Amino acid sequence: MVRFIVKRIGYGLLVMWGVFTVVFILFAVLPVDSAIMTLGQRSDISTEEAVKKDLGLHLPLGIRYINFCNDFSPISFHNAINEESNFYLDKDKYHATTLFHFGKESVCVAKTPYLGRSYQSKRPVLEMLNEAFPKTALLALISIFIAIAIGIVIGILCAVWKDTWFDKLAITFSVMGMALPSFFAAILFAWVFAFLLADYTGLNMFGNLYTVSNFGEGEYLDLKNLILPAVTLGIRPAATVIQLMRNSVLEVMSQNYVKTAFAKGLSFFHVVRKHVVKNALNPVVTAISGWLAGMMAGAVYVEYIFDYKGVGVMIVNGLEKYDFPVVMGSLLYISIILITINIIVDIIYSYLDPKAKIQ
Amino acid sequence: MTIMKIENKNILSINNLCIDFKAESSSVRVVNRLSFNLIKGTTLGIVGESGSGKSVTALSIMRLLQEAIYAGEINLHIDGTTHSILKLNNKQMRSFRGNRIAMIFQEPMTSLNPSMRCGRQIEEALQLHLGLTKTKARRQTLRLLEEVRLPHPEKIYKAYPHEISGGQKQRVMIAMAISCNPDILIADEPTTALDVTVQKDILELLLDLQKKHGISIIFITHDLGVVAKIAHHIVVMYKGEKVEEGDVKTVFTQPQHPYTKGLLACRVPLEKRLKILPTIRQILESKDHHFEEKIITQSEWKSESNKILSSNPILEVTDLTKKYPLPKKIFQPRDYFYALDNISFQLYEGETLGLVGESGCGKTTLGRSILRLIETQNGRIIYQGKNISTLSSRQMRSLRKDLQIIFQDPYASLNPRYMVGEAIMEPMKLHKIGKSDQERKEKVMELLQRVDLEEKHFYHYPHEFSGGQRQRISIARALALQPKIIVCDESVSALDVSVQAQILNLLNKLKDEFKLTYLFISHDLSVVKFMSHRIMVMKNGKIVELNTADDLYTHPQTAYTQQLINSIPLIKFS
Repeated sequence: MVRFIVKRIGYGLLVMWGVFTVVFILFAVLPVDSAIMTLGQRSDISTEEAVKKDLGLHLPLGIRYINFCNDFSPISFHNAINEESNFYLDKDKYHATTLFHFGKESVCVAKTPYLGRSYQSKRPVLEMLNEAFPKTALLALISIFIAIAIGIVIGILCAVWKDTWFDKLAITFSVMGMALPSFFAAILFAWVFAFLLADYTGLNMFGNLYTVSNFGEGEYLDLKNLILPAVTLGIRPAATVIQLMRNSVLEVMSQNYVKTAFAKGLSFFHVVRKHVVKNALNPVVTAISGWLAGMMAGAVYVEYIFDYKGVGVMIVNGLEKYDFPVVMGSLLYISIILITINIIVDIIYSYLDPKAKIQ
Repeated sequence: MTIMKIENKNILSINNLCIDFKAESSSVRVVNRLSFNLIKGTTLGIVGESGSGKSVTALSIMRLLQEAIYAGEINLHIDGTTHSILKLNNKQMRSFRGNRIAMIFQEPMTSLNPSMRCGRQIEEALQLHLGLTKTKARRQTLRLLEEVRLPHPEKIYKAYPHEISGGQKQRVMIAMAISCNPDILIADEPTTALDVTVQKDILELLLDLQKKHGISIIFITHDLGVVAKIAHHIVVMYKGEKVEEGDVKTVFTQPQHPYTKGLLACRVPLEKRLKILPTIRQILESKDHHFEEKIITQSEWKSESNKILSSNPILEVTDLTKKYPLPKKIFQPRDYFYALDNISFQLYEGETLGLVGESGCGKTTLGRSILRLIETQNGRIIYQGKNISTLSSRQMRSLRKDLQIIFQDPYASLNPRYMVGEAIMEPMKLHKIGKSDQERKEKVMELLQRVDLEEKHFYHYPHEFSGGQRQRISIARALALQPKIIVCDESVSALDVSVQAQILNLLNKLKDEFKLTYLFISHDLSVVKFMSHRIMVMKNGKIVELNTADDLYTHPQTAYTQQLINSIPLIKFS
């Protein structure tokens, strides 16, 4: 098991490096002058030169790649003394702890990865992400939780009560749920529950995780603002999970080992609980991990419509304004999260399906 | 007084059982007016081909059929009272299942829950019916695993089903079935999916368990040899009805019903070589239900063999090796699994070379490697003086029509979306056989008749055919390319005995008509012996013995061949 996990992490790091290199190349070849983007349209040449130098844009591509790696890696090598060096350990950029010195000026440090600063707000991208991501993650987790709870339970019930009115009704709703575009669902829900029925539900049309107090007492956590976006986001996964779980349970129920279980004299409930559900979960886990990964990257429409300030909104804003460090940083951040989720899912698989461990 | 005694002796009696399955609007009767008794402590064999209703009967005793409509009575006589199985409520029925009546299924590979440890699956029944605590159930489970003669019970207890072999899985199933000391054990084709040597051990285990615990067994099988070995009484079923019943010796030596006669006659005999195997249809349709046997004597066969073997080989295989890398261990050189280990043999024109071995011995790999469907690492394959092992796939393609294969599973080897005619014509087009589609079509029609199908079948789809008919289609498809060599990879293994006899006869007929050479692969030594001039025995990727068919059977040179021969279940009564 330990070997399996170590191997998975090894693969994860390799994939991470690949993503990282592709992102670098993509942004290096894009014909957009980052210096001008930082300064705005009106600027003189000397300022532009200075900014270029500050961003390291005057350097050859190879050195920029090394710098990019150095910025990103938690353990990196720098020149500690010479400010003119391409690898100068800039205290403004890095929060570094020196591990050891080597050579005359070189130093190896451990640090938090540096993802650059936003061209627009000049804030470090990592700081912005650390602020936005927990909101997105919370939203994603809650909506996935809703999807799992509703989807698995209703899916099992549909399979057990196959062809009854319950099954037919649930399937109809699930088909509708899958067909409903999220931007439309978001607007519909906002209008119905936060406008028409606002007096009864007490929900807001828009709202962030934190609301600024009307009485000047700073921000307070406003969890009710999560309800509408989470439900909206959860509809499609829930609809998918219902169908997957239903079909999967039906398939497992027709397997020989379920016949064996019944032949032991176990009750229907016991057979479903102990022999069917675990074996039926496999396709559902795959689907859910896909949804979760997608949501972690930010649910752009839903975040936009409910004005929920998560990663999705941040990326869209960044793209709109050619704010490359924000976009690049977000991409890398998201890919780390996706890779981590994948590793976790693989470990869950190896529990659900002991055969998966061998491969 | 005598009546009382008989009543006490029967542990299960079935009277006028009818089972119907609900179909769209009407219902289909699968078992019709079936009656039999199971005597306490004995084994009742139920024999029949697929679709005879034998498995349905077994499941109905456990009441495990869904959407079935029952009529008649199934009575269980235990503890001095009679329980009418069909009248019990679900809760009462559950207390019988696994406790008083237990069942073993055909497919050990799929009958255990893949995500639950073997030991846990046995414990479940113990805790449910006997109310044992977890530690007691565990101890009892280990004892049971030992009783079914599994090596290292502790290991098996903790293993997941995919980590143990098929024979071991079936032992776990048996341990599970006997865990609560049932009165009746129903075994539905428990050894069909296993190798003969494993089958032999499992049958011996069942006999021992019966002796020790006095369990009454219902043993369902299509294999008459197996039932002769294990059963005291047998019931022969045909199309949902009982056609014959009696003690095993009487039924086998003096069969009354023509169907039973046919079933016994169409088995491939080991001690003599028939020119044509009788089929059940022939026996049912002939006047006195008798079949005129034409025997090929050993000397006739020998002179034919010698003639064939004195010609030049059409295919020569030297040092063929196929190895698969095993997962590497750190600091150790990589190990390999040898599926083929330095295989060398010759195939002569007009010969049928048999290849036997147990599952995993590499016989399928060998069959596919000589057609270059699997690439090998080492060795030469020389076909008509030409080394084909080094040909590029483009060069190989033109040779493909000479070398054809017929697979085991007639259900999986035909594309369900192709009409039969199209499926046969497709390779003909590819190899430019026939000038126009019209000409090819006529040719296919002719081929269909040659394999005893009809011209109209050209326009039908595979799902409309039975297993035997599908195998005929596969044969026609192979023949369409006018091949020289056909590899028959377990081509009759999935078929019922009567259908198997038909296909074997057909293969022999076609061999003469088309001047074919066969490599005939099977796990069934009796079938291989019937078909072949020479036989190769494979074990662990090596050829352990190669000899003429009769000599190999009568004078096996290796212990392994001897063991295979001894494991064939024979109908023998002392």
